[in-house]
Amino acid sequence: MNLHKLASRLRPTVTQKFRHFHIQGSGQQLEAVVGETSSAEPSLLSVFRTSEQDPACHSERHTGQYYTIPPAHIQKLFPHGLPPRFQLQVKTFNEGCVMVRPPALELISYLKRVDYSKPPLRYILYGDTGSGKTLSLCHALHYCYTQGWLILHIPDAHLWVKNCKELLPSSSRPSRFDQPIQASQWLKNFKITNERFLSKVQLDRYVWTKRESTEEGRPLGELVDQGVNRMKSSSDVVGAVLRELRLQAGGATDGEGAFKLAVAVDGVNALWGKTTLKKEDKTMCEPEELTLIHNLRKMMKNDWSGGAILTALSQTGSLFKPRSAYLPNELLGEEGFDNMEPFVPVSVPNYSEKEFESCYLYYLDRNWLQHPHSRSEEGKKELIFLSNKNPSILERLCAFL
Amino acid sequence: MAAPITHPALSSFCKINCNINGIYSLISLNRRISISSVVLSSVVATEREATGRGGRGQWRSRRQAGEPRTERMAEDQDWTAVYPTAASFKPSAVPLPVRMGYPVKRGVPPAKKGNLELIKIPNFLHLTPVAIKKHCEALKPFCTKWPSALDSDEKCMEHFPIQVQSKEFVSAGLSLRNPDARIVTLKVKLSSLNLDDHARKKMIKLSDERYCKDTDTLTITTDSCPLRQQNYDYAMYLLTVLYHESWKTEAWEQEKTRADMEEYEWEDSPSQKNVLETLLRMRPLGAKDEVEEGTREELLGQPAVQEYRDAMVGLKNEGETEENLRKYKEAVKKLLNI
Repeated sequence: MNLHKLASRLRPTVTQKFRHFHIQGSGQQLEAVVGETSSAEPSLLSVFRTSEQDPACHSERHTGQYYTIPPAHIQKLFPHGLPPRFQLQVKTFNEGCVMVRPPALELISYLKRVDYSKPPLRYILYGDTGSGKTLSLCHALHYCYTQGWLILHIPDAHLWVKNCKELLPSSSRPSRFDQPIQASQWLKNFKITNERFLSKVQLDRYVWTKRESTEEGRPLGELVDQGVNRMKSSSDVVGAVLRELRLQAGGATDGEGAFKLAVAVDGVNALWGKTTLKKEDKTMCEPEELTLIHNLRKMMKNDWSGGAILTALSQTGSLFKPRSAYLPNELLGEEGFDNMEPFVPVSVPNYSEKEFESCYLYYLDRNWLQHPHSRSEEGKKELIFLSNKNPSILERLCAFL
Repeated sequence: MAAPITHPALSSFCKINCNINGIYSLISLNRRISISSVVLSSVVATEREATGRGGRGQWRSRRQAGEPRTERMAEDQDWTAVYPTAASFKPSAVPLPVRMGYPVKRGVPPAKKGNLELIKIPNFLHLTPVAIKKHCEALKPFCTKWPSALDSDEKCMEHFPIQVQSKEFVSAGLSLRNPDARIVTLKVKLSSLNLDDHARKKMIKLSDERYCKDTDTLTITTDSCPLRQQNYDYAMYLLTVLYHESWKTEAWEQEKTRADMEEYEWEDSPSQKNVLETLLRMRPLGAKDEVEEGTREELLGQPAVQEYRDAMVGLKNEGETEENLRKYKEAVKKLLNI
């Protein structure tokens, strides 16, 4: 305990060279170490950590290194966006460290180069289960956030097509169905992420019921509040929000109203798959009949300008898809593929040698690998063999050690 | 040579095998059949012994068996003389030290002498390669020559593209007939038939699972008629009908939808529409209004679009692989000027 408190006290002030001694011996007294700051070997640490916090400056030389997302950013940007296990890890290690990997770097490089007066480009991150698609997406989103874009993040589209407790017939359109809980939850998170834009964006006129309507020129924040408060119309509010943002993303060229829109959807194959929701007459619901999905699909088309659409496929939450499917065509299906193309597919492979080294050293540094055998070369080879350098399997394995 | 004298009462159990070189006799005692070989040399002695021993008068004389034939076999003997026809296993005529049977506790498989297991099973000792050669030589006068022009497999396939297979069964049971002998299999490669594009696709659709895509072979198996001749005629008839039907075009074939297509065509596909729309949107705002045929053709004619088209067709027809996806990615990047 002593060690940990000292470590947390020392962290903001001391350079990263200190942490080297955690690797050397667990349970050593830190006081003895304090005096020897200069003799620590920088090479070991600089292998897996980088001090470059700004994603815009990440480049190939940072590949395989961990960078820390400032806690303030994590709270604002990812209230619901990070995968659950990663959130646990952030809580345990007291810091959110993400590895810089080639797929994310590729995405960021595209985002930097593209002309934003043209229609948005669609990027699809695909790869084996647990290879790091969601985290790469989050990395790219962090970049967008630091550049001041408006983030539209749907953490898992699969949550909208299954396990919905309430399915109301839509108030505005007779053939559609609303999901008030999911919609209002998403609106809450959207509000947290995009605080500063809420007052800037101006709206058109919307009529909700006979007595309620949103006048023209009101700020977005009001609309979002109304959606959060009135659950019944929250799905329609989501639709309205999406529409507004779409129309206004690249429109205004003056400094005040201009913003770029980043639409990030994880598990985008849910939009064109099947649902497990049943209507009242016990027939299966099509995704098209859900308001949220319908509006999101409209968002995926490239008929607006001034932003980018980043998506990731996911087999983990998907319905009726085989476990081994990971290629775009298999997971998206015919309809999804036709809707999404032309897109840029970005492959997210398992860890390379260097990245695995990095991850291993990071876990050692955080004292996550407690088992003495795991610190040896033998143990490392075992880990490589057991996990096949798959990030999520490695993480689950190390949790036992 | 003296013939063995057998007791009349035992005659029903006895079986005498006369062989050129040796004499065997089966003697049954108390309904158990055992085989003993009688040595020829001491015929007289055994006679006496038998009479001396056999107080009951079971055997008047019993010849000893001579040495087995295997002792006198040369390495380069004519085997076809030993086993000219199918015969049961004779341990004294087969010079091989075979053992057969279950090794009872701490034992070994029993030897060939007196081994019923070896006699029970069918053997092919009469069908050695030398014997077969002799059969062939004997049959040659009855055969005609193989045509000299057909000296390779390709030429055979070229001149005789249809292969008909059927099985003959020979059995020696209560009935000589085998119902499976009526099955006829007809194999033909579609590339050897005169089919145009539409006819080929229709033929493949009509033959459904009888067509193998990898080897381009249509296989028709008929077994509905009782005779092989009838089945063969039926198979030929089916082939003829398929061929002629696939050349015809029916009125309802106009309604063929995209889902029926065998391969992916890029023209008029949603993919092409998407690409066109994207390209149109990407142009500067002023030029957006002049959407005519001319611009459409011009857009489609760009090399980037052609490359995209190739990548799409490859993806859809060959299935998805990393390689295909990589090509697709390159094509998209070029198309959208990243």
